[in-house]
This record gives sequence, structure tokens and C-alpha cells, in this order.
Amino acid sequence: MTEQIRIGFDVGGTFTDGVLMRGKEVISKTKSLTTEDITTGIINALDLLLKNSQVDVSKIEMVSLGTTHTTNAIIERRKLDRVGVFRIGAPATTAIPPMTGWPGDLMAALGGKEHVHIIRGGSEYNGKDIVPLDEKAIMDAAKAMKGNVGSVAITGVFSPIIPKHEDRAMEIVREYLGDEVFITQSHKIASISLLERENSTILNASVKTVMKRAVDAFKQAVADRNINAKLFVVQNDGSVMNADHAVEYPIFTVASGPAASVRGAVYLSGIQNGAVVDVGGTSTDVAYIVNGFPRESSITVNIGGVKTNVRCPDLLSIALGGGTIIKSQQDKVIGLGPESVGYNLVKLGKSFGGPILTVHDIAVATGRLSSKLEIFDTNYVTNITAINALPASLVKEADARIKERVEIAIDQMKTESGLIPAIFIGGGALAVPQFNIEGTTEVILPNHFEVGGAIGTTIAEIGASAEVAVDLALENRNDAIDRVVALAKKNAQEAGAIAGTEEIIDVEEIPFAYMPGKKQKVRVRVKGKVFA
Amino acid sequence: MSVYDILEDWGITNYRIIDKKSIEEITLGASILATGGGGDPEIGLLWAYKVLNEGKDIVMIDPLDIPDDILVASPACLGAALVLTEKPPNEDVLNKAVSTLEAYMGKKLQATIPLECGGVNSIVAYAVAAELGLPVIDVDGMNRAFPELQMTSWVTHGVHASPTVSTDDRMNTTVIDTKDDDLMAESIARKVAMSYGGISWVATYPMTGADVKRTSILNSQSIAWDVGKAVMEARRSHNDPVEQILTSIKHTRNIQGYRVFNGKIVDIQREFGGEMSKGFSLGKVIMEGIGDCKGQTAELDFQNEWLNLRVNNELKCVTPDLIAILDIETGEPIRTDIMKYGYRGSIVLIPAHERMRTEKGIETFGPRYFGYDFDYVPVEKLMAKQEVK
Repeated sequence: MTEQIRIGFDVGGTFTDGVLMRGKEVISKTKSLTTEDITTGIINALDLLLKNSQVDVSKIEMVSLGTTHTTNAIIERRKLDRVGVFRIGAPATTAIPPMTGWPGDLMAALGGKEHVHIIRGGSEYNGKDIVPLDEKAIMDAAKAMKGNVGSVAITGVFSPIIPKHEDRAMEIVREYLGDEVFITQSHKIASISLLERENSTILNASVKTVMKRAVDAFKQAVADRNINAKLFVVQNDGSVMNADHAVEYPIFTVASGPAASVRGAVYLSGIQNGAVVDVGGTSTDVAYIVNGFPRESSITVNIGGVKTNVRCPDLLSIALGGGTIIKSQQDKVIGLGPESVGYNLVKLGKSFGGPILTVHDIAVATGRLSSKLEIFDTNYVTNITAINALPASLVKEADARIKERVEIAIDQMKTESGLIPAIFIGGGALAVPQFNIEGTTEVILPNHFEVGGAIGTTIAEIGASAEVAVDLALENRNDAIDRVVALAKKNAQEAGAIAGTEEIIDVEEIPFAYMPGKKQKVRVRVKGKVFA
Repeated sequence: MSVYDILEDWGITNYRIIDKKSIEEITLGASILATGGGGDPEIGLLWAYKVLNEGKDIVMIDPLDIPDDILVASPACLGAALVLTEKPPNEDVLNKAVSTLEAYMGKKLQATIPLECGGVNSIVAYAVAAELGLPVIDVDGMNRAFPELQMTSWVTHGVHASPTVSTDDRMNTTVIDTKDDDLMAESIARKVAMSYGGISWVATYPMTGADVKRTSILNSQSIAWDVGKAVMEARRSHNDPVEQILTSIKHTRNIQGYRVFNGKIVDIQREFGGEMSKGFSLGKVIMEGIGDCKGQTAELDFQNEWLNLRVNNELKCVTPDLIAILDIETGEPIRTDIMKYGYRGSIVLIPAHERMRTEKGIETFGPRYFGYDFDYVPVEKLMAKQEVK
């Protein structure tokens, strides 16, 4: 087992990090610039890892990828599929047609409103039909879509409770459009809240080709190097899913980067509950670990200007990183960010003989940064004279301001008072103060903190969930929960988990307020293993 | 007949066309005046976008310009918020409610009036006015949010929520005629909403133009608009949104508001079971002072909306006066349904309109109606007490 090798990549805006692990041992790590097409950058990193480690490729059992293909395609409105949209809910819902409030350029990139339909059907919360499904309208619309759309999104009112109209609609669409189109059903994507779920579903439909191409290229690259390993993509809870599953659910990868960082922090520190402070060059993400997984956000998640309810980690991003600019007058700090010199730090920062004072320079001046990290080409300081010339009071004040910024962010992410451990990771982790951080029991700076995200991708656990609305007036509570657990386990197996290895992460029960009976939502999250 | 024909008919030349930016400003301002309640306004906002996208005009007029003998009513949504987010309305649902109301009363509706500030209902009157080709009048029934249908200045000045017409997306229609029993109207309307599947769309508070002038909170929409504009302006110019709001309402409306506390939420004590018994989410929030207020403690009572505020155990504000907690950086209101530990905000107090402070008003939505054992004292008196000390 310890001989087996795993490779993981974490694609960020600036850098693509890669690690090659044997068991818990990091054999090789890289940090290389992210390329415009993303895939080339990953393959470059793969080749670097293979070259530096000289491992036997037949020993590689797993390659996994935390990537921004999906997010970038949506944000840049590039290479998106033309989407046929079915909403099943008329006569309800017509006051707000699909894609109302979307940025015009994104809507145009998906083919505009030509193949957008509101069909009669859908359910009430109690499972009754709003009206019977209008099958003929679906047939007519599907015929008109033939050859004109690459992907279809189907969203029915209350489908997370009763998916039958979405299921029937999918059968009809398949019958008329065959296997030439991708189909996404909303109840597989997100929960109650029609417009946000519909948005999530349409976005998922729009990036299927993007994800398929990325996965195909990745498979090819691995095969070309004679690697015969399982391929995985990181999902929004930081666990992985097999690469083919990712093609079905690309929208589940939009927050894979920050999620992988949380998982990496858990893995490296052994801490199961606490805060993760991931410090980069321009920003710091603060997340929260609950039982080893990132806490989920309870509010809408904006993707490319569209409001969605895709489950994502609850993240607080603040404009503070190694390259963040400190504005000063004589020995007084007059501003901290939000601007950053980014990866130009090595040209513009005082530590490197440049003109601009940054957070990095303060860390050098305080002595916190005192050695070169192997993954960076440049030493941490090349012009110590400029740093020594900084007024002591300025350094002290700037350091206090940086510390306070981090402390407030950690506090804002808490859900209750009390002290918690904090794990600092990321390429800029050493740039911020580590001691006596208010609100924490301790700050942990684990080994390999600078590639924590990439390490997080190599943890071979599959995460999956299931959510069902139940009526406890009609069904025994334990039976209801067992039913949802079984469904979550099935979803985990579809994503690549070995049957029998699943464990329950948590069971959430949310009562529906203002409703008669004992209606409630049961949501179960499970994790399962990739290897026996 | 278009909305402009109506204005011409009434000889109104002074009106405001509400565009996308205006509707966003009004929605933000109304959410702030909603005193932590009202819920998510998103569905209303998107409905307004839809009518604007279709090229329909939203036109707002001043209440003092309308004829005394016209019929107006308030279009609104009543029911479970969760169902609304999953099942937005049919675009004609309120047309149906309005036409049924017209048939029942034997008179045409000629304008809409918003029910409250905050949430979907703040904006629905605008969207529906445009759908129907009618103007929306610059008033509402409270200039804040409250949880029950009868909690309006209209009721406390002798206008009733009857007849109310309640409809659903399949055009099922119920006429609720309870004469002068507004609590009965509220009770029936809730049960009808449940039978429809959790949500209903109502045309309620039919009244004359003269009633509007006599009983409404006049220009409440303009106040919301001013507040929204102030916050947007503060964001653009990186000013303090709270100060900008206070300066703006003092300057344009001569309303004296107060910033009483800066702090963060450190404890939320929800009373469970409240939702079952009263249909409200209720409890207490504790905030700990930050910055200038370090060492002080604020305590807020809420029942869907913020109702009472104490700072260091001293009463500072009581319902129906307005309490808002605004995000220190963005000015975004912190709502009772989404508040969390750690939220940082400034507490702002705004005196309720005189028409909300009558004896009948205090009886209908003062502290004792909500079960608190103390009397209403106007916020300016509570604030003056502090200044003397």
C-alpha cells in the first residue's frame, strides 16, 4: 500500500500546484504558472513531477485534479454549449421566465431565448400535480431543438420532492434527440428554490462539453505516459468523483480549489474542526472545517453573474496576500490593500529591490520569513538593505494591521463564540502573523503548507449526498432517514466509491415552517473509499 | 387605456418613471426600512425586471395628486416563504385577483398601493401596476414590515382589509369579505393560502383616493428610494453608508434618525415552537460593541422583524419605531431570517410616521400586542433621556 503513488493538481488563478505522494510522504512538489487553456499547465506540472521524482509509473494508482475549467468557461463565456431549457411549472412561475436577470452576454453565449420553454406541469409541495404534464409541448419543443442545441436543462417545480415530471420529460427528450445531446435534470443538481436551482441546472448543461474535453485530454495525457491509474476530479466539498461522473456534473467543480485546500489542511494537521486560512498572493480565503469537510454556504452562490444554489464551501475572501500593497507616509500606515502586486512581487516588492512596500516585505522585516521555499524559483529576499531601512514603528504598525485583518476574518466565519484552532496554508502563509491570533487556541503551520490544496486532492474519498422531503406524519422517522442514507450511498457509488465503504458524515433535518403535517427535509452526506 | 391616458385624465403632469436602477434603489431602501423582516425581495425584483424587459413602464405618482373618488388596492403575496421560492407566480395571477375585486365592487381599479416596505410585497405593487397599465401611488400601509395583514395605518384609521380577493396560479379565486373584522380577514386569508398549496396572491385593502390621502403613510416609497440611493452613493464614493442614510433622510424628509450602536452579533436565542404557535420566528439577539461601543451590549427582541432594542439594559427603541441593523461596510440590512453569529453592523433607529403612532396604532402593533410587558415610548424621547444623562 505504501508503495502506491498518488498525484494531485490544484489549479489556481496564478499557479498550478502539483504533488506526487507515496502514502503520506510527499516525494515531489511543483508550482508552475497556470496556462490560458489550463490543460497544458496541468500536463507541464505532471511532466515536472514525473521527471523530478523518477518514480515507476506503473505504481501510480490515482491521479486527481482540482480545476477551474468550468468556472473559467462560464466567467469568460467561452466554449459553452447551446442549451435547450425546459421549465416544468406553468401555469405557475410565468411571471419570472427562465434566465431573468442573467447577464446578456452569458445568455447569448448559451443561444439566447430561442429554445427556452415553460411547460405545463410540476408538483405542489404535497406531491400533487400543479397540473398534469404537457407531454406534447415537450415533444414539439424537442423536435425544434434537434441540431440546434448541444445540451438540455430540465427543471420542474418541487422536483427535489417529486422528480416524476423531470424523469418523464427526460425520456421524451431522449426519444427525440437521442444520445447526441447532454441532459441535466435539476433534482440531481440542487435543492428547493426554483430559480436558483434552474440557474444551476442551465449552467451545468452549458459546461458539459468543456468538462468532457478537459477530461478526455487529461485521460489521453495520462495514457501517453503509460500511467494506468484511476482518474478523479475534485468536487465542491473537497472530496473527489471519478472523471466520467464529473462530465455529468461539471457544476460540482466550481469551488474545488478552496475545498481542496480545506481537505489538505485537515490531512496535514489532523484537525477535524477549526478554521483554515489559505493565504495566496492577492487574497486570503478563510473557510471552516466541520468534521473534516468544509462547512457549506447557506446563501446563494454567484457564478459568472448568475445566482445559484449549488452547494459550495462557506468562504470569506479578503484582499490580503503576500503581494498586498501597504501605503505609508513616513512611518505611518495609511492603507492596507486591496491592491496587490500579484506575481510581480519579485519585481516590485522592496525585498527584491522594487519600489513598493508589501505584506511580504513586512514578514521579512519581522524575521518571520527567513528561508527560501523550494517550490519558488526566487529567494525570499534579494535586497535586505531596503528591508533593514524600514522604520521599526512602521513595521510594527503594519504587522498589527495585518494581524487584525486576519483575526476579524476568522471571527466573522465563526458560528459561535469560543476559541478554535486555525490552520494556515497556501503559498503566502508565512507572510501573515502566526502568534497570539485572537479567537484561536493555536495556529498550525503544517509541513508542505504551500501546496496544501494539491495534497488535498490526493485524499481518495468520494463525497456524496442525498436530500429528500419527507412527511413524518406518514412515515417513521428512522425509516425515512434510512431511505435517504441508502440514496446517498447509491450516489457515492455512482461517483466512484466502493460499495460497503461508505460512512455517514452528517444527517440534517430541516422542518418546513408554516406547513401543516410534519413535513421536513432530510439531507444526508456520506463519504466512501476509492480503494479497498 | 395606457397608464399615460389615466394620468392625462387626472391632469397629472408630475410623475416619475421607475427604471431598472430606480427599482433596485427602492428595493434596497425598502429592505432597510423593513426592520429586519419582509424576507428576500428577489422574486419581486425579478418580476419587475420582467415587465421592464417587456417594455412596460412603471410610473409612480404622488398621493396628493390623485382624485378622491378613484378605487385603488394593494396587490400582495401571502403565505409560506419557502413555497414562494420554489413556485413563483403566474404573470396573470394578480390580474385575476384585481378583475374579481372589480367585479365584486362594481368599479374599476385605477392604481396600486404597496402594502409594506421590504420583501416581495414591497415590489409586487410596481410589477403589477405595469402589468395592468396602472400607476403606483407613492404610499404604503406602514413604511416598514409587519407580520400580519391587519397591521397597517389603513386599519388604524378606519379602512379595512375587506373585501380581499385571493387567487392561485390555476386561477382558483376566493373572495374574503369580513366587513370590519380585519383579524378574521387575516385568519381566513392564511387558511386559503394553505389550501392553494402554501402561497396565495391577494388584491386587498380596496379604498378610495380620499382614503389613501387620509390613512396611508404618504411618500413612503420616496423615503425608501432616498435611503436606497444614499447607500448606493456611499458605496460608489466609499463613504459610510449609515451616515449617508441619516444625512439624506434629515435633508430631504426632515426625519431625525439615530446611529446608536456598532457591534457584532454574539448570540442568537431563538424560541423554538414560535413558528408553530404564531407563525413567526421569534427570539432575542445579543450584540457586543466594537470600536467606540466596545464594552457595551445591545439586546434586540424580534418576531420576524426587530421590535425592541436595549443598550446596556436601557430601552432605546420600541415597535412601531424602526430598527435596522446595517452591515458596516456595505449598508446591506441584516435580516432576522438570515442573521448569523459574527455579523458586524450598525444599529440605526428611525421614528415611525405619526400615522403609525396613534393610540389605535400602538394597540394594533405596539409592544403589548407582541406580548412584551412595557409601554410604547417614542424613540426621540428615549434618545433625549440618554442625552440628558
